[in-house]
Amino acid sequence: MDAQKKLRIYFTGVGGQGSLTATALLARTALFAGVDVVAGEVHGMAQRGGVVESVLLLGGWRSPKLEYGEADVILGFEPLETLRGLPYLRKGGVVFSSSDAMPPVGVALGLERYPDMEEIKAKIAEVASESHFLPCRELGAKAGAVQAGNTVLLAAVCASGILPFGVDVFEEALKRFLPAKLQPANLQALEYGRSYFA
Amino acid sequence: MSNPLLEGKADECHLLLGNEAIVRGALEAGVHIVTCYPGTPSSEVPDTFRRIGGTGRQYLMQYSVNEKVAMEVACGASLAGAKALVTMKHVGLNVAADPLFTATYTGLPGGLVILSADDPGFHSSQNEQDNRNYARAASLPCFEPCSAQEAKDMTKEAFRVARLLQQPVLLRTTTRVNHMRGAVRFGALPEEKEPLVAFERNPLRFVPVPAVAKLRHMALEQNMAKARELAEESVFTREHVPASAPRAGIIVSGVSRNYVCDALQTGQWEEKVRVLELGMTWPLPEQRILSFLNSCDKVLIVEENDPLLEKDVRAMAQKAGCATAIAGKGGVLTIQGEYSTPLLMQAIADFLGEPHEKPQVQAPAQLPKRPPNLCAGCSHRAVYYAARQIFGDEAVYSSDIGCYTLGMLPPLRCADFLFCMGSSISAGSGFAMLAKRQVVGFIGDSTFFHSGMTGLANALFNRMDIIVVILDNGTTAMTGHQPNPGMLQDQLGELCQHLDIESIVRGIGVTQVKKVHAFNLKSVEKALQEFKDMQGVRVLIAEEPCALYARRSLHRGGSRVAVVVDQGEATKRCIDGFACPAFCRKDGAYAVDPTLCTGCGLCLQVAPTGFKLVKRA
Repeated sequence: MDAQKKLRIYFTGVGGQGSLTATALLARTALFAGVDVVAGEVHGMAQRGGVVESVLLLGGWRSPKLEYGEADVILGFEPLETLRGLPYLRKGGVVFSSSDAMPPVGVALGLERYPDMEEIKAKIAEVASESHFLPCRELGAKAGAVQAGNTVLLAAVCASGILPFGVDVFEEALKRFLPAKLQPANLQALEYGRSYFA
Repeated sequence: MSNPLLEGKADECHLLLGNEAIVRGALEAGVHIVTCYPGTPSSEVPDTFRRIGGTGRQYLMQYSVNEKVAMEVACGASLAGAKALVTMKHVGLNVAADPLFTATYTGLPGGLVILSADDPGFHSSQNEQDNRNYARAASLPCFEPCSAQEAKDMTKEAFRVARLLQQPVLLRTTTRVNHMRGAVRFGALPEEKEPLVAFERNPLRFVPVPAVAKLRHMALEQNMAKARELAEESVFTREHVPASAPRAGIIVSGVSRNYVCDALQTGQWEEKVRVLELGMTWPLPEQRILSFLNSCDKVLIVEENDPLLEKDVRAMAQKAGCATAIAGKGGVLTIQGEYSTPLLMQAIADFLGEPHEKPQVQAPAQLPKRPPNLCAGCSHRAVYYAARQIFGDEAVYSSDIGCYTLGMLPPLRCADFLFCMGSSISAGSGFAMLAKRQVVGFIGDSTFFHSGMTGLANALFNRMDIIVVILDNGTTAMTGHQPNPGMLQDQLGELCQHLDIESIVRGIGVTQVKKVHAFNLKSVEKALQEFKDMQGVRVLIAEEPCALYARRSLHRGGSRVAVVVDQGEATKRCIDGFACPAFCRKDGAYAVDPTLCTGCGLCLQVAPTGFKLVKRA
């Protein structure tokens, strides 16, 4: 493990999805693995159905905020938000995203058009060196809880080898930090994420 | 269950939110009492104290009705010898400024620390005022952490200074620090709390009639001179001098210390510049700053928002006849919003004359927006819809601070102006007096207790005209469901007493009062219609619990959901005019998203032929 590996991760999702909980969980995992960690969140008004962004910095970065072009990795919990967050990715960065759409109100009412998945993937491929799309909500539901879908994505990024710690450490952290009743669904979700890179 | 904040031992290391780290720092300092009014980004401090300790365990705590009251309670407690912490967001300190500016004269023997959580970048606020101005204006020693570890350490140090000098101390944070997470190495909790400092009756100190205040102003000046010595010696005043001893320097404070550090590393400029980091930022360590200036030919000053440090350093240099070139605001370093690492890279490259390529940034795509919105099942939407039906564009809508400000968005458009907590009533009645137009003011329950009552008394006393709608959802919704006096008694517990809004309104003397259930659209419309033709102060209390609060805390609702049964004109009008976020289109047809619908049934009242309620599958 390279605990000094410097990495900046940008998280994005929709209010209520649990992306801040996911950020905090990965941050605790990093600390547990002995990696320097800083996470940044914004709480408050934006959460009323709006976009929720957060950042996780590994290996000694200090600034709890990212600008466009600074992220090495994007973790998107909703595909439209992944696309919206794309300017944060540095050229050649890596994207992990849910492929399960949650249409915003304008789309739900038929006033605006939600981009096609193929369109989203193509735009992301213009910037990212690799990108991975997982049906997180669907897999979460299959594992026993929609919210466990976030764990699918976290497990996948851990299993990809891009972080300074692997999926086994994440599994250990889940067992240590998650309440017992949430563990079965999340451990199952972790297996779905792990098997993506198996 | 044991909580690491309450029980954690020295040298344990935990990942904490900045606001949780402040809690730990206060506990390590042996805080006796915490008072607050909630407000983003400060709210997790009191909420954490409430969650982990309950009231009365190791410390007392209260949600006060507003920041002025919170400040005065904390000042009183500190006069009684306690270590007191009072927390608020930046605009809250405006409300609390009155007692503050005199408490610095009397001094507070027990020690008072004031958390002001500023919000550069407007994440959740109506302005981005820089509360370091208060440190200067009121004479407060000031600490500005930039990491979770410092949030803990500086809180503890702030208490030490507050008790040592008997002066209130400002802990000034910004959103990014309050809401960052980082590893925090704990110090020890006190074995036993320090005893209260016994109160000695001394009106010649504590009763600031002019003759007393005049002497106390001198005492304050002396105490601030002592504080300046502490800043000179402070472990939070840090100088980084590279081996090459360069003649260029950066003086930096607050969260920008992180951006400067990351920018220097990224640009590989660490050997080219010396850095003076200021953590205790008032009073300034003048000797340290002057000797730093003298070690440099040019210095760049980096601070978000106002150029306060810059002006002070310029004045210091002028007074000392120091010829070092000083740069500050200008170019990319503006007084607007937040700074960032790329912004500092540009500023430092310009300052050092280093080549720097602007990173290529892809323009954000035009995508469907996801604006914050009133929740599905929010009772405010019902009242706004009713007001639009009765008054349309004829009335002017005076708004206030809370979730309900989101009623400004179309199609409801029920907010035409807003200043601050409580202004819906006072500014609304002032507007009506001159504009000769019907004004409908909307104010929430917690905001009414905060500063709506005085405006209501004033409007009545001065025979003004206004319709005030109190949107009583039974909690402080926007900031996370903190208690307020309007909350139900069984939710408040035995340490607080429920206050009845209607009794208060009538007690003030308002006679034209109606109370309705917000979800009964007909009765809301009827009440507003009757008020429309009347004069003077009219108050409508619209009750209905916040939908999130009802589900999470009251365990109510959700057994039924609405479905669309007709695709006709009535349904379309409801979808366009009521605009509940649960409305959607499915395969080209109108539908209701059952995962969002709370079963409030409002759509049935707006369009009885278009919807029906069914048992949730």
